[in-house]
Amino acid sequence: MFRTCDITGFKVDLQSEKLIRANAVFAVISLLFAVVAAILLVFTRYQPVHLLGAEWYYRLVTFHGLNALIFWIIFFEIAGLYFGSTVILNTKFCAPKWGWVAFALMVAGLVISNIIILMGKADVMLTSYTPLKAHPLYYLGIILFAVGALLAVILFFGNLMIARRDKAYGETMPLVTYGLMTAAIIAVITLASGALIYIPTFLWSLGLVDNIDPAMYKLIWWGLGHSSQQINVAAMVSIWYMVSFLAVGGTSINERVSRSAFVLYILFICLASAHHLLTDPGVSSAWKVWNTSYAMYLAVLASMIHAFAVPSSFESAQRRWGYNKGLFQWLSKAPWSNPAFSSIILAVIGFGFIGGTTGVIFGMEQTNIIVHNTIAIPGHFKGTVVIGTTLTFMGITYYLIPLIFRRKIAGFKWAQWQPWLFFIGIALLSISMIVLGQLGVPRRHWDSSFSGGPFTHNFNPAVDFFWALMMLGGTIAFLATIIWILIVVISVFFGQKVNGPQDMQLKISPLAPQAKEHKGFEAPGTLALTMVFLLVFIALFFLNWKWLAATWNVN
Amino acid sequence: MQNMVGSDNGIPIVRPEPNTNVFLMAEMWRWSPVLILEKDQSYKFHISSKDIVHGLSIQPVNMNFQVYPGYDYLLEFKPTETGEYKVICNEFCGIGHHTMIGKIVVIEKDEDLKLYGFKDLKKPAGKAAAKKNEPLTEAEMALMGEQVYTLKGCGACHKTDGTSLIAPSWKGLYGKDEHVIVDGKKTTVKVDDEYIKESIQNPTSKITVGYENTPMPVMGLSDEEIAQVIAYIKTL
Repeated sequence: MFRTCDITGFKVDLQSEKLIRANAVFAVISLLFAVVAAILLVFTRYQPVHLLGAEWYYRLVTFHGLNALIFWIIFFEIAGLYFGSTVILNTKFCAPKWGWVAFALMVAGLVISNIIILMGKADVMLTSYTPLKAHPLYYLGIILFAVGALLAVILFFGNLMIARRDKAYGETMPLVTYGLMTAAIIAVITLASGALIYIPTFLWSLGLVDNIDPAMYKLIWWGLGHSSQQINVAAMVSIWYMVSFLAVGGTSINERVSRSAFVLYILFICLASAHHLLTDPGVSSAWKVWNTSYAMYLAVLASMIHAFAVPSSFESAQRRWGYNKGLFQWLSKAPWSNPAFSSIILAVIGFGFIGGTTGVIFGMEQTNIIVHNTIAIPGHFKGTVVIGTTLTFMGITYYLIPLIFRRKIAGFKWAQWQPWLFFIGIALLSISMIVLGQLGVPRRHWDSSFSGGPFTHNFNPAVDFFWALMMLGGTIAFLATIIWILIVVISVFFGQKVNGPQDMQLKISPLAPQAKEHKGFEAPGTLALTMVFLLVFIALFFLNWKWLAATWNVN
Repeated sequence: MQNMVGSDNGIPIVRPEPNTNVFLMAEMWRWSPVLILEKDQSYKFHISSKDIVHGLSIQPVNMNFQVYPGYDYLLEFKPTETGEYKVICNEFCGIGHHTMIGKIVVIEKDEDLKLYGFKDLKKPAGKAAAKKNEPLTEAEMALMGEQVYTLKGCGACHKTDGTSLIAPSWKGLYGKDEHVIVDGKKTTVKVDDEYIKESIQNPTSKITVGYENTPMPVMGLSDEEIAQVIAYIKTL
């Protein structure tokens, strides 16, 4: 059963639409869980308030991690995969019944794991490094969720096969779907890694396996833990391209290069996992240096290609629409009132400047010693997963509400402010955490005054300022997330129905016109911004090596 | 343990020789021992965990490493600045994670020790002991006994200052007549080598009156360690 979208002209499989909606709803629920925990955690670490007791602090760190990094993101990605493989390709869903089975498994996993955590039976953090042991049902919940997600990914490939058979697209698959396909391939690899580690750990928690080597556990866990972030990156970048297309009719200025960059992710990203072992015994220095330098940079290169290709697709399209004055008119005349557009631009900036720079610097063997397990690490992935992925997902939702849920966006004025508020909040939070980490403050630590310990330690007095800044940023980001959730819930459940193109609050742009004449480089503004980025990166890089010079000698 | 020179808040203080092996053990929830190192000297650190994964984080220099049970992580450190450093744990290790903090002091010369509040540190016992083949003197035995006391955690219950909360204080214990319960009957014994040895090896055979509700666990000391502990108790 199809309906034909009166706005985009796509043929929308009604079964697929229901599955997209269901997965999206659970994504939002997970995000709500995650941010409620997050705000409590922020006010616990902010020592003057020190809200929660130690027990609940560690419990909610576990809860926050699982709901934010796993449930929110994967539910949303599954919705995205279904969207990219059916709606965009005018294709029907291959096996809707199995889609519901996958959904049920994922929901069951979410419910079981969350209940076990809140009962206090799994205070093991998201990483659950053995020999820390959680209740067997905790691991079972994660396994069920992963099996459900794997099934959903398989269905995505099924949809692609139908589309191919039916020749639903022209000669090449649309770039968005291509990007989502790389995300799906990485998902299969990482979920296999996940099974490899969670199944033995589950058996161990039942007492059926004697021993899980803690260093081996950490190695394989990060095969899941970091590679899975590449699913997010690939999905996020796909959405960047999609929004450029929807908002200004932009297309990659070199689609072949963009596609190759996606392939680089698949080939090299597993090596990003290696940097989690930089401060471990058991692997040699040579191995560490190799795996965290040349090979890893190929994956970083891919992100840099996208981070260049996406803004340049905006710029190129904007110039062809006539905003051609100077270096930056394309930017000043950009559709800033479109919250999906502003989300994506802010996500690109945050992902590159905060997440990307710190990611590369922290990933080197030498400088990793400074930040390993400090609060700078969550600071880094707030830059990638939160400003990058989460803000991107929030942004594309502003298109999904009218197109998939067929509702007008309630409180559109709020929606226009929300991405900025979220960006500012997380940027403050993230930068504060990175600075605190450089000053030695550990992550996942209930009391940085060490009460009850035999000694105490006073961090550099500058930490007080950054704790306050972190609290401020956390609060702003929390409010921005709640605003987003309210907009989504009110629009979807109580919003006015969308009856046609006249009800679209977000513009869907036609394809940008062909350039009349070709002179010089298509996107000089983006090039200039890229240079700024590289300068910031070099400055940060040397700053870190300078800090390193201040430590003891170690071999 | 050979180089133990005292204790700091219940944690043994070790002053290793430069260019030797230094053992730093992590457990829930302490770093042991407290180390006194010399500036610009190298030390081969062996870092391991007794129980679960911990994170070694030396502050304020901010150097961080992962510590595993069952692995011996060998790192060569050369402190380049004098000062008092803290070792904090930055890998979640249970509810007491935040109390897990240890200390490393880096000095240039012996007089510097006073700056960090270290007074009356003993000469390392082990050096003399290791060199000679003849039996240890009573004083050396007592010093070794104090190390056993600290390292095995006897001090958690047995105080040496005369206070007896969970278990009898060791102060003035040796030679005293103690009221004990044997097979449910009250009797009196003289605290001597024999009695202490029996109490360590089989703690419940004679229970001191007043401590019936806090039975002592079997600590698994060797005969040699028991002799050292006895020598230590004699000095109190």
